[in-house]
Amino acid sequence: MTTAGRRARPGKAAGNAALQDALAAENAAIFGYGVAGAYLTGRQRATATAYWNEHRSARDTLSGLLRARGEQPAPAAASYKLPFGVHTAAEAASLAIFLENGVTAAYLGLVGVGDAGLRTFGARAMQAAAIRATSWRGSTVAFPGMPTARPSPPRAR
Amino acid sequence: MAADPTRRRVLAASALMLTAAGTAGCASGQAWPWARPPVPVPEVGMLRNVIAAEDTLVSTYTAVLSARPALAATVSPLLRQHQQHLAQLRDRLMVPAGARPSPTKTARARQAPVPAGRAAVLAYLRHAETDQAAFLVHTLAAVVTPSLAQLMASISASEAAHAALLDSAGSPR
Repeated sequence: MTTAGRRARPGKAAGNAALQDALAAENAAIFGYGVAGAYLTGRQRATATAYWNEHRSARDTLSGLLRARGEQPAPAAASYKLPFGVHTAAEAASLAIFLENGVTAAYLGLVGVGDAGLRTFGARAMQAAAIRATSWRGSTVAFPGMPTARPSPPRAR
Repeated sequence: MAADPTRRRVLAASALMLTAAGTAGCASGQAWPWARPPVPVPEVGMLRNVIAAEDTLVSTYTAVLSARPALAATVSPLLRQHQQHLAQLRDRLMVPAGARPSPTKTARARQAPVPAGRAAVLAYLRHAETDQAAFLVHTLAAVVTPSLAQLMASISASEAAHAALLDSAGSPR
């Protein structure tokens, strides 16, 4: 991520840029969960739907925050390049983990800005994303969202 | 927070910080990309509190593990992650010259006994995780150093995920 570069910017611009990063990650997650859901059934599918809704809700919150700051939320892309082929339930779960990791890292950027409100908001969003990733992974990690201390490729349960 | 004598000692220590920061990464044997800058003076007290709380959590897990070895499969991985949290937090603390790096005794003294029964133990750990995750989020709002706030947020997210995992381990499948 571009956190380091963003940190140098003056307060409001840094906050806006971090909010746009988080919004971009949420839009990618919304797209990705749409793909993942197609390969899941039963309880996993219900989970994917619930999480898809959580990401849509987060997107709306971020858009509202940006507008309130006089900034236009960047629109979602029409489609996103998937990190790997998704054709099975296991790959769909791996995709979901990948998406949650991306969202967690994006909110980490928000925690890096000086504004206390945005920082707390970002930290809570990191918790939510880490919990969702854990439900797909079946295990936890020590430093969610941090630049990879150990590059662990996402794995399905 | 920092009384004058403490402040002076910390300022005196700051000349040594550059050298210390240069070697801190090697001391633990592994270079972490985010763990470099030492925290400024106003944050030392806050960081000590966070470290003490994390240390208490490690003690809690250690006590649970020794009282209930059957829970090792669930509990050990979480304990290892808390030990990583603690190491990273300690890495960020520059102990003022002449001060004793010590605050963990009071934290240990407060420790509650491990409850009986698997479900009760898991709930006990879950509450400890939830409390610590909330404490970190509450505390990081006022942190000046962005990378320290990020480390605390990441640890808080890890602990929130621990709580969720303990919750699902405690509920019947």
